[in-house]
Amino acid sequence: MNWIDLSSNVFTAAFFLYCAAFICYAIAVAGKRWSNRDPQGHTARWGRIGFIAAIVAWVLHLVFFFARWKGQGHIPTSNMYEFMTFLAMAIMFAFIVVYLIYRNSLLGAFALPLVIIIVAYASVFPSEVQPLNPALNSIWLRIHVTTAALGEAFFAVGFAAALMQLIRVVDLERKDKVGVRSRRWTEFSLVAIILIVGFLVSVFGFRGAGYEASFSQETVEIADDGTVNSQVNEVTYSLPPIVAPYNSETVDFQAFLGMEKPLFEAPSWMNGVNAGRKLNTVIWSVITGLILYGLLRLLARKPLIAVIKPHLMDIDADDLEEISYRAIAIGFPVFTLGALIFAMIWAEIAWSRFWGWDPKEVWALVTWLFYSAYLHLRLSRGWQGTRSAWLAVIGFLVVMFTLIGVNLVIAGLHSYAGVS
Amino acid sequence: MLIQNTKCECGHQNPVGTVLCESCGKPLFEEAAGAEDAPLEMRYDGVARRSQKQNPHLIDRVWNFFSSVKIAIYLIILTLLGAALGTIFQQESTFINMTTDEEFAAYYKETYGTAGVIYHALGLSHTYESWWFRGLLVMIGASLVICSLDRVLPLYRALNKQQIRKHLQFITRQQVTYSGEVAGDETAWVESFKKQLKRRGYRVHQDGTALLAEKNRFSRWGPYINHIGLILFLLAVLGRSVPAWHMDQYLALYEGETRQIPDTNYYLKNDDFTLELYDESELASNQKGKAVPKLFETKATMYECIEACNDPTRDPVLKQVEQHPIQVNSPLSHGDLKIYQNSYQARVRFISVNVTLTDTVTGKAYGTFALRADNPERVYEVGPYTLRLNDYFPDFGLDSESRPMTKTRDPNNPAFAFTITGPDLLKDGETYLYFPMPNEESKAYQAILNDYYVKNGQSSGKFAFKVENAMSGGKMVNVTFSEYTTFLNIRKDKAMPYIWVGAAISMIGLIMGFYWQHRRVWLRIDGGTLSLGAHTNKNSYGLRADVAWALARTGIEVPPKSLDNRRNLR
Ligand code: HEM
Repeated sequence: MNWIDLSSNVFTAAFFLYCAAFICYAIAVAGKRWSNRDPQGHTARWGRIGFIAAIVAWVLHLVFFFARWKGQGHIPTSNMYEFMTFLAMAIMFAFIVVYLIYRNSLLGAFALPLVIIIVAYASVFPSEVQPLNPALNSIWLRIHVTTAALGEAFFAVGFAAALMQLIRVVDLERKDKVGVRSRRWTEFSLVAIILIVGFLVSVFGFRGAGYEASFSQETVEIADDGTVNSQVNEVTYSLPPIVAPYNSETVDFQAFLGMEKPLFEAPSWMNGVNAGRKLNTVIWSVITGLILYGLLRLLARKPLIAVIKPHLMDIDADDLEEISYRAIAIGFPVFTLGALIFAMIWAEIAWSRFWGWDPKEVWALVTWLFYSAYLHLRLSRGWQGTRSAWLAVIGFLVVMFTLIGVNLVIAGLHSYAGVS
Repeated sequence: MLIQNTKCECGHQNPVGTVLCESCGKPLFEEAAGAEDAPLEMRYDGVARRSQKQNPHLIDRVWNFFSSVKIAIYLIILTLLGAALGTIFQQESTFINMTTDEEFAAYYKETYGTAGVIYHALGLSHTYESWWFRGLLVMIGASLVICSLDRVLPLYRALNKQQIRKHLQFITRQQVTYSGEVAGDETAWVESFKKQLKRRGYRVHQDGTALLAEKNRFSRWGPYINHIGLILFLLAVLGRSVPAWHMDQYLALYEGETRQIPDTNYYLKNDDFTLELYDESELASNQKGKAVPKLFETKATMYECIEACNDPTRDPVLKQVEQHPIQVNSPLSHGDLKIYQNSYQARVRFISVNVTLTDTVTGKAYGTFALRADNPERVYEVGPYTLRLNDYFPDFGLDSESRPMTKTRDPNNPAFAFTITGPDLLKDGETYLYFPMPNEESKAYQAILNDYYVKNGQSSGKFAFKVENAMSGGKMVNVTFSEYTTFLNIRKDKAMPYIWVGAAISMIGLIMGFYWQHRRVWLRIDGGTLSLGAHTNKNSYGLRADVAWALARTGIEVPPKSLDNRRNLR
């Protein structure tokens, strides 16, 4: 067996172990009130089992990383698949660091789903080994990417703690506007996460079923000298096309649940050949996510926050707030160093300018400014507690947009290879 | 604002704006009812700052504006929003082939429709060069300077002269508090508590039964050092707009070419360009069959002109100063000039040919000479003959009146017109036209013209130009070509050292401020009752752990959480 095969097998094992660890945590929190057991002892025991499982999974994840490094000869952080798996690994590391400070293992119940989602998201992208583009072949790029991911990982842990805090303090009884609004938004954060799960379910579901449809689109470009270039591009959908690309012809279409052709075509301003496919993926994610959410609501017969909240009552909201702030405070210098300073050093060496206002660079700056606003706001009274938890949640959204959104929506110099 | 009595009951005269007495720490303001026991606002230890001056003048108002953290947050958020807006559509600066505003306007309209028109009209298409964005950066800079000055001195004063015995209210209203009875000898207990805190790295000062323990005070300077770094960084960024500090040019060089770097005394030569592709077996499945570059490199030599540099009548005298294989991640640098690999183009370009002058009749070779496409020599001595270059057309063509001319300066179809003199030749010399790499059309033209010279009595037709063994073993010999033209980016940026120094200072400040925390513990024993208060600028959790740890070791077991004064109030 060669290194690459070894690494991918280990990776699968790590993924399932992460899931197992999460289930242990869920038992730790949810099984407290099961009959004839001592609640405190139960939580501590299952929390410990969960933590050990998570550590073992993480060690396997490390094995994956180094085996792949050895197998392909360069550090695996150069395409979307590799970067996302690295980010998940870094989040686990940040979680372990924060755990060592605060010994609050239940944080794992929120950090692990994040890791699992990101690992699954990474697997959406092609995992095949690709050779390096010369511009990416720099030690500084590797340092930059890994340090930036580490900083972001601490922000992720800050996000997990902040979300726990929000659910912990949400008032399920309050009838006035403020109470309703805070309930709604907290529930909405969970819905947003379920939509991402919906994305994963639909991608892997249809991939497993081998679904494929394809379209061709002709684009006409008029160059400066007046010559007309027309180009025919073909796109392959792996989800049943609800939306066809703008101005396209169907090449191949597998019928799905009686759907014989796309329901509509992408609007004209979404004229890129991949824009229609991306819109289609978003629609499927929303559909699947909402179905999942509906099923969960049917099972629980109450809002999800009302399901989770009772299990968090043993944890102090102030502790959660402290953990969230501390994780961000640890991550901020690391992020500054990795995402800005090392990025500037690399850009200076590779692109001959330390800063070029490339969208990815700008969004790293936006993330940094956002977190520095968060830190400054916390210096003033009245901005601690729920408000600062919301900022930690929004901050992580900005991070995710920088990592994923910019590549999907705005393409720049940085676009990673293998973005689907 | 009320005229406040700033003299404390302990006798200390405080400046206007003081919140907690500089000496004993007693709160100087009467608190609103119900808040008498609330934790104190310990920011800057409650000392007065310049921005809290009464009766502000204009300068004070400006000062107050920029020293406010609230304003700083607004500035940061506005900058953040502005930067984000600039990424919605492509920025103007990314289009190399457009320059005028009309062109841009048309482009945005065509590409993005109405949204593009609005985007362009608002100036968002050049956000990062706009006056308002630059203005925000300048304002952040001003805010950083003023804000830091406003706070750093008072904070320094407050931390530098701390009294050990504090007012009781000051102690009991800290974020971390404990109070209880001390059994036994008070001084002995204080001594042992002191020893425990020392074990945790505190520096302890004692005044009878009062105690002040402190650690990591230096971390308080972290944010200010960070801000100084940011100021330097911003200044360096502004400094880049000084023209003499900055240069950014492109140079295209084919293999073997030497050119002057404009506006400098340096010359650059492309000795060789190599392109390495990935092997088919190394490629991922979606890349098979494509040419994926693995490495491209320009072997370059840099020269400095040491003589006859600006003399058009003489060739400059060059001295080699630097040699480096330039790759994407490995520029050549000399002094503050840096030369980067930008891109390359596959373009065959004729460099030189070794021509043999032969006799058309006997086939005898008289000799061989090298003919260069660039700056060919004017005179060649070949055997007994002298060849004088009369005319050179690098890219031969005919003008509208069918006269020879050159279409471009690139040697795409070079033609050389010689006059040959020597023994047994026509008196005025003989005229020949030679195409080293003729296409069909040029070949015909060469034949026609050389025939015409013979008919016209300008030539005897004695000579033929030949390239011997042009191909040998599948390789070109006697002919040299450049296969690639390399594009190099030449940069000078005198602000860079300041940028890096600013970033480094900023990082040091961040690390100081975030990975260490300033912790202080005050205590006093009054008639057997211990009152303990402790403060930290962040990580209250760690402070509580410290205090509980030291208390436990002196016989007082308390859970760390119970020390939290803020929590107990909620
Ligand atoms: C984008 C620019 C800025 C960045 C990245 C930045 C960063 C920071 C950081 C990381 C801290 C430490 C926060 C903490 O201790 O929790 C801090 C503190 C502070 N910043 Fe800034 N800052 C910036 C701009 C400003 C500006 C313009 C002002 C001016 C009003 C300012 C005023 C302060 C103050 C007063 C503190 C608190 C210092 C203390 O009490 O310990 N900052 N800043």
